[in-house]
Amino acid sequence: MLTKPNMLVVDNDVAILNKCNSLLLSRGFQVSTAESSKEALQILEKYHRDVDIMLLSLELPGLGAMSVIEVLKKTKSKILVMAISTDCGEEAIAAIHAGAYDCIRKTFTTERFWTKIDRAVERFTLARQLEILKKQRLSILKKDSYDEDTMRTIMNTIPEGLIVTDHHERIVFYNSKVADLFGLQGDAALGLPIEKTLKNADLVSFITESMNLSRSGHSSVHQKVGSIEIEGLTMRVLINSIESDDGKTIGSVSMLQDVSQKKTMDQLKGDLVSMVSHELKAPLSALLMQLSVVLDGLAGDITTKQKDLLGKAKQRTKRMIALVNDLLDLRRIEEGKAVVEIEPLDLGEILHRSIDIMTLSSKDKNINFDVKIVENLPLFSGDRTGMEAVFVNLISNAIKYTSTGGRVQVELKKSGKDIRIKVVDNGIGIEKEDLDHVFDRFYRIKTEQTKSIGGSGLGLYIVKRIVDAHRGTIYVESKAGKGTMFIVSLPLEK
Amino acid sequence: MAGQKILIVDDDLDFCEATKLILESKAYKVNLAHDGKEGLEKIRSEEPDLVILDVMMPEMNGYDVCVIMKADPGLSSIPVILLTAVNQEMFKTSFTKEMGLMTEADDYIAKPVEPEDLVEAIEALLKGEE
Repeated sequence: MLTKPNMLVVDNDVAILNKCNSLLLSRGFQVSTAESSKEALQILEKYHRDVDIMLLSLELPGLGAMSVIEVLKKTKSKILVMAISTDCGEEAIAAIHAGAYDCIRKTFTTERFWTKIDRAVERFTLARQLEILKKQRLSILKKDSYDEDTMRTIMNTIPEGLIVTDHHERIVFYNSKVADLFGLQGDAALGLPIEKTLKNADLVSFITESMNLSRSGHSSVHQKVGSIEIEGLTMRVLINSIESDDGKTIGSVSMLQDVSQKKTMDQLKGDLVSMVSHELKAPLSALLMQLSVVLDGLAGDITTKQKDLLGKAKQRTKRMIALVNDLLDLRRIEEGKAVVEIEPLDLGEILHRSIDIMTLSSKDKNINFDVKIVENLPLFSGDRTGMEAVFVNLISNAIKYTSTGGRVQVELKKSGKDIRIKVVDNGIGIEKEDLDHVFDRFYRIKTEQTKSIGGSGLGLYIVKRIVDAHRGTIYVESKAGKGTMFIVSLPLEK
Repeated sequence: MAGQKILIVDDDLDFCEATKLILESKAYKVNLAHDGKEGLEKIRSEEPDLVILDVMMPEMNGYDVCVIMKADPGLSSIPVILLTAVNQEMFKTSFTKEMGLMTEADDYIAKPVEPEDLVEAIEALLKGEE
């Protein structure tokens, strides 16, 4: 609802001024008054927005009414002017020419006054409504063009390349990054098939594959990720298909992200880890031998105390060796070499061998091994070294976290379409809050009990990565103080 | 058989010294060489019963020494243990497959090695010799 217009009455004739004032007040208008044009201009300057309709005497002394009307015109004011004059003659016509709306005689009757004022108010209200409608329309138009320009600018500002295609794999949109990468000029490539515009066979086949996959409705998430080389840059590609409401594939959106720098950094980091690890290995090898020589008494007799201390030193050295080996494993796995070579594997044989290695290292702890390996299991297509790493890590963990005289059960069997490996111990177990993190990189459970147990926090991370790479699953169940069970399921059919 | 001759070829002097002491305690006669070239010369001149070859060495690396030995009818019957910095037990098999076929080494041991594992590997190979 529009509010009542605010009034300003300007007249040096106080009788008229008061009459207008009281009439307007009687109908609930807000009224200000001024007795000279100077005063009126001051009010307008200060409270311009609070004046809607001005009743202005044309017989003001000094600057006079015309100067006020001129000012209103100059400032493109929306204030409606109702002139007051003795006879509404020549000067009234001049005022109306200059922009006044109408003229009212000084000798007005109340009825005549309201006729004129009502029309003025109506006129003002209409003008104001029109103004509001205009503004609304303008703002909508502005928003539309703003959106389009903004979207285009956003698309061109993001460092990633963007390509949109329709269902015929023709280009619908590309941003400036893509134009740069493929040397496309302006909008010339729009509407052309991707194989003619995107001079990269890998990218074209990625998009085509992704669209086909989406059309066949095989996957619920039609997203494809790959990596391509363009102009010496390594670009990570992410492709999403666009679907209409009825589930039809109507196009695709591809995002190209430059990962060259990240790749270089990763390479540098990896090389550093690799170099440091290998450099550590040589002194550790020598150290292990030297400690063994002294401990075996080959460098002369040693006291019990010396033997005790050097024995501990040897243990620490071996832990450090294990850490270095873990770092190198990690490096290998992060290079994406979790699966190096797929071949049919006899998991039973690999598990036997892993257990042999492990039992040797656990003979001091007198662990009771219970091994059940089902004979004649079907061969599993996997990476031999990866599988060995899975077994060795799970079993060595079981031994590590089980106290002397404890029990470790290992079971290998077929279960449905999977080969299943179960490793159960009755060791210290894992607290609930740690259980969610056991597969995290560098995660180590810090308790009084684990303090003395060496480890890098990489073992289970490596296991998980290898199992994932074989499309398998790993499951863990544990109770603090009771023991832990790991189950790895590896699908026989991929 | 006690008194058999073992040649250790490794550029790490500390490792050589300590390993020598351990093997001598098992009654082997141990000689040392510190790079591939010197190693090959001593293999020819001293005719050891077994050679322990480090892979990463200056002048000539262990693989090359091994390949030359195995191609030489006069030396090919001497058992060779390659010491590699290749990682851990878990990578031994793929490594064995690749390098084993190429170098025809008789055994592979990842460094760092436990003295008893090394001794075990040596005994197994020399037993085969008898």
